[in-house]
Amino acid sequence: MFGFLKGLGVTLSQLPRKKVTLQYPDVMPEWPERFRGVHRFIPELCIVCNQCARICPTSCISLSGTRDENKKLRIDTYDINFDICILCDLCTEVCPTESILMSDTFELASYSRDDLYLDMHWLYENELRYERAHPDRVAPAQLEKAGEA
Amino acid sequence: MWDWQNASPLTGLNFVAMVVGAVVVLAIGLGVVTYTIYAERKVIGWMQGRIGPNRVGPFGLLQSIADIVKLLIKEDVVPERADRVLFLLAPVIAFIPSFMVLAVIPFSARHPFTANLAVGALYYIALSAITIHGVMLGGWASNNKYALIGGMRSAAQMLSYEVPLGLSLVGVILMAGSLNLNDIVEAQARSGWWYIVPQFLGFCVFLVAATAELNRTPFDLPEAESELVAGYHVEYTGFRFAFFMLTEYLYLFAMGGLMATLFLGGWTGPWLPGWLWFAIKVFAFIFFQFWLRATMPRIRVDQLMSFSWKVLLPLALLNLVVTAVLKAFLS
Amino acid sequence: MAQTEETLERLGVPADKLEHHRLRLDDDPDVRTEEMLLNVGPQHPSTHGVFRLLVKIRGETILDAEPVIGYLHRGTEKLAEDLQYTQIIPYTDRLDYLAAMLNNYALCHTVEEALGLEIPERAEYLRVIVMELQRIASHLLFIGTYLLDLGAMSPFLYVFQERERIVQMFNKICGARLTYNYMRIGGVKWDAPPGWLDEVRAFVPFMKERIKMYDDLITGNEIFLNRTRGIGQYDTETALKYGLSGINLRCTGFAWDLRRKKPYSIYDRFEFDIPVGTRGDCFDRYYLHLLEMQQSLRIVEQALDQIPDSGPVLGKVPKLIRVPKGEYYSGIEGARGELGFYIVSDGKDKPYRLKIRKPSFVNLQLLPELLRGQNIANLIAILGAVDIVLGEVDA
Repeated sequence: MFGFLKGLGVTLSQLPRKKVTLQYPDVMPEWPERFRGVHRFIPELCIVCNQCARICPTSCISLSGTRDENKKLRIDTYDINFDICILCDLCTEVCPTESILMSDTFELASYSRDDLYLDMHWLYENELRYERAHPDRVAPAQLEKAGEA
Repeated sequence: MWDWQNASPLTGLNFVAMVVGAVVVLAIGLGVVTYTIYAERKVIGWMQGRIGPNRVGPFGLLQSIADIVKLLIKEDVVPERADRVLFLLAPVIAFIPSFMVLAVIPFSARHPFTANLAVGALYYIALSAITIHGVMLGGWASNNKYALIGGMRSAAQMLSYEVPLGLSLVGVILMAGSLNLNDIVEAQARSGWWYIVPQFLGFCVFLVAATAELNRTPFDLPEAESELVAGYHVEYTGFRFAFFMLTEYLYLFAMGGLMATLFLGGWTGPWLPGWLWFAIKVFAFIFFQFWLRATMPRIRVDQLMSFSWKVLLPLALLNLVVTAVLKAFLS
Repeated sequence: MAQTEETLERLGVPADKLEHHRLRLDDDPDVRTEEMLLNVGPQHPSTHGVFRLLVKIRGETILDAEPVIGYLHRGTEKLAEDLQYTQIIPYTDRLDYLAAMLNNYALCHTVEEALGLEIPERAEYLRVIVMELQRIASHLLFIGTYLLDLGAMSPFLYVFQERERIVQMFNKICGARLTYNYMRIGGVKWDAPPGWLDEVRAFVPFMKERIKMYDDLITGNEIFLNRTRGIGQYDTETALKYGLSGINLRCTGFAWDLRRKKPYSIYDRFEFDIPVGTRGDCFDRYYLHLLEMQQSLRIVEQALDQIPDSGPVLGKVPKLIRVPKGEYYSGIEGARGELGFYIVSDGKDKPYRLKIRKPSFVNLQLLPELLRGQNIANLIAILGAVDIVLGEVDA
């Protein structure tokens, strides 16, 4: 008959518990290493193989490159349209040189659609930002490779 | 000049004192409402693992004030197809009685702002019934189906719970032998126990009926968000909406005061000053309402009705008869 | 009369259906009653998404109800025809967005069956662990939203605390909180990061305690019982007739769980029960969610004990996945019922046609039948207990 009293006990017992609210944006969430935020891009590593653009389920990546004096392909433009990107991570999965990677940037809201059209410079800036924020996560080999190229 | 409780109120300084008293009570009422809303959000937040308002002012203390300011400067929208006159009138009709009932609540032993009304309890019940008109008219005038259903439900609910609420008071009135709320407090002090003990059944009926009368969980059908979107005030914006909110929380305060007066000995109590005892008792009632809101699902509308007529009313009547018989035999 | 017709036009009732909705006077000459069309949704707090329900009521009795769906239609099935099989996986995340892992698995499982792929042991265990955690997360959200529909606010905020822990674990293993894209054809994308399995192991006792808390908080509450006992009741025959599955079928006492009846993955290695209801009402449906979470925890515990310490997580899969010509179907026990993918392949790397058996969509078909003749006050209680996810209904 008085089953609801048990319920009242439950809610009262929650009163002194530790609160779970995260004070975003004063306190930022901590993202794990695999977190799939907005991409970062290292132009020096890219070999213009176009695999990322082909695997993309929403065709949001477009890129172009030219051959330099050593007959090596160099990336010229690399754009991701974040209007339609679904952050599925398939592009980083197929990239043979790990030049396109995911970062932990996640705040994508913007007043204009144009702001969501991210070009190579923005993506490289994002890479630098990521390296500054997580020096421990950037593999030394990768840094070396970037230095060589 | 503060003796107008006993002297004629309409002479000279007494009249000024009366006006000042009304303004002071209004200010107290508004302050209590502001911080009741704040406390509600904090307490329910804590019960749900949240921290509640914390951005405006220290500990979010100015949150309610910010909300009021927001509501004040909002655009006042009157729907095109609404019944304009009634739509504008409804919040006023709802609000005025909620403030007027505060006139009879005895806040402390010797303060000048309480009308020493011989029919205090009756006055409360009668005036609080007027609010139903405001709610129903608001729902009707909005010309919105959800608001209409909300308003009708509200009227039906408040009317049905008015009856057991009134009857549960009668037991106390019989024991005290007076309808005057001041006298009832004094009668409790004389008898040596709070009426919650001899009138426990009446107290339970009062508590349930009061919750329903206040439209609070689990009886918050008139404003069931998940069913009626918001109920009778769905079309109201800005300050008119604020008036409905104000009405609701003023009644919460007034009903807490009524309960403290009738069942918990009002301002009487050892050691502490009378007004503090009164505040503690009122807040206990208000906290209980928050606690219920954090726990209970909503009752269904037809069950609500049958609960009032088939359970509460017989219990209230039984309480009344037993009280009357005992009083007759013991005296 | 004219006004009603105007209203009907505004609501977009087609001309040939006007007669059906037209107001009729009651037979009693003294009492004039009108039927009223109540438009629940598409923006209504309790329709769990953009779902519109056109309810015809007389007084407080529901005469008829007509679900209007399609507000969230994205054409997943058509889009899939132009995508390689791996590319379809992120799209399945967005079907039933509360149980994306299960959707991922259902697609991968169908393709793997078609190809006859061997899945590495560790991958299978990881899959089972994440799928059962996902089932718990999904059921938790059902309990939260259902109680919110019924007017209780706290359970909704409590369930998010446990769900947050699950979602954080998913975030660690696959980098996303809602649209995981974790499964791959032939295995899973990532192995568990160091310490992840211990985290899951620590979660199990915590969750058990919380389930007990929900039992205390909700199950015994008289108001909750009054609102759900005997409401929205149907029997096994009706359920089978409408093709219901999942908890909507099991609540009638019919023990049908694909994990047991047609074992897929490695479910034949685990011990678990299929909880069934007795009356087939809303209360049974609520309670089964609670019981199923316990069973899922049992499976997770066993999987944690049995999982091999190391090994590959992705089997030998051809670089370009071509499904041999033919038609393939396989269903799994999703969070809401039988979730199946039907693939017609003409031997290319993209499906010729993909059809998804969406449990929410099928379960929704019973709704008008359940609502007819009910009091309008029961509408939300019944709709909530059918447990639809609009991303899946509209696909």
